[in-house]
Amino acid sequence: MSLVARHLEANGIPTVVMGCARDIVEHCGVARFLFSDFPLGNSCGKPHDVEMQRATLGMALDLLESASAPRTTVQTPFRWAPEAAWKRDFYRLDLTPEQIARAREEFDTQKATLKEKLDAG
Amino acid sequence: MTSIDNAPEFIEATLDLPVRYLDRSRAYYLSLGYDNPYRWACHQDSPFAPLRKPLRECRVALVTTAAPYNPEAGEQGPRAPYNARAKFTNVYTMPVEPAPDLRISHVGYDRKHTSAEDINTYLPLARMKEAAVAGRVGQLNPRLYGVPTLRSQRLTNERDAPEILSLCRQEGIDAAVLVAT
Repeated sequence: MSLVARHLEANGIPTVVMGCARDIVEHCGVARFLFSDFPLGNSCGKPHDVEMQRATLGMALDLLESASAPRTTVQTPFRWAPEAAWKRDFYRLDLTPEQIARAREEFDTQKATLKEKLDAG
Repeated sequence: MTSIDNAPEFIEATLDLPVRYLDRSRAYYLSLGYDNPYRWACHQDSPFAPLRKPLRECRVALVTTAAPYNPEAGEQGPRAPYNARAKFTNVYTMPVEPAPDLRISHVGYDRKHTSAEDINTYLPLARMKEAAVAGRVGQLNPRLYGVPTLRSQRLTNERDAPEILSLCRQEGIDAAVLVAT
């Protein structure tokens, strides 16, 4: 998505990217980025928290207007949970051999499915 | 300290740092035995287009990686396992009214700590409509744009991004809100 934002910017259309993976978006380099330090899947706020979702979009729109240079990142003030333990769990590295075997099988299956879809156009 | 205590995911949780997905995904796929980890796009420069008129006069497009629900593509509901069958392979457009049924079972969101049960966490369409009614933006473009996630920077750069640009030009888009998932 960051690559699409870059292409629009390079052709004169201002953008703001909303996301939860700060390093990936900043590594790619975008003009304006609203970062929520939340589990992936919550770029626009917490589930069922309409006020937070409204405030989050509001910050993205503010950023569209206020940024004066590229690579402007703004982080929302919201916390996912009082503790940060959730940050341990995505792509866990302490898998057992059985879990590794299952994860490999799953990854290979999904990759083959994607390849079939791409080959089919 | 054992080696696991030094693992990045513990440091990120202990110090409450943003998760470093670049390192984490690389280490994860290496730990599974794959020797060619994905190389994320990296640029030193970053293009910048200033807003040319007040946002309250702009036509704004919403751009998403979410996928139209496809009844034939297996489980796509809240916490559905990663589902490559639900992926779409080409840029699409859909009217924003009635609100389209878009899902994220085809991407790697955090299935342990969130559920994708509320579309508003990954598609701010309802909130954008409110912003348009409130006059915060001039107009929400009547169609939103979908970008495929195919692990191919070549397809994104050479095919999909130009197509989104072309749509934006055809429809007179002044600014775009893009949501990464």
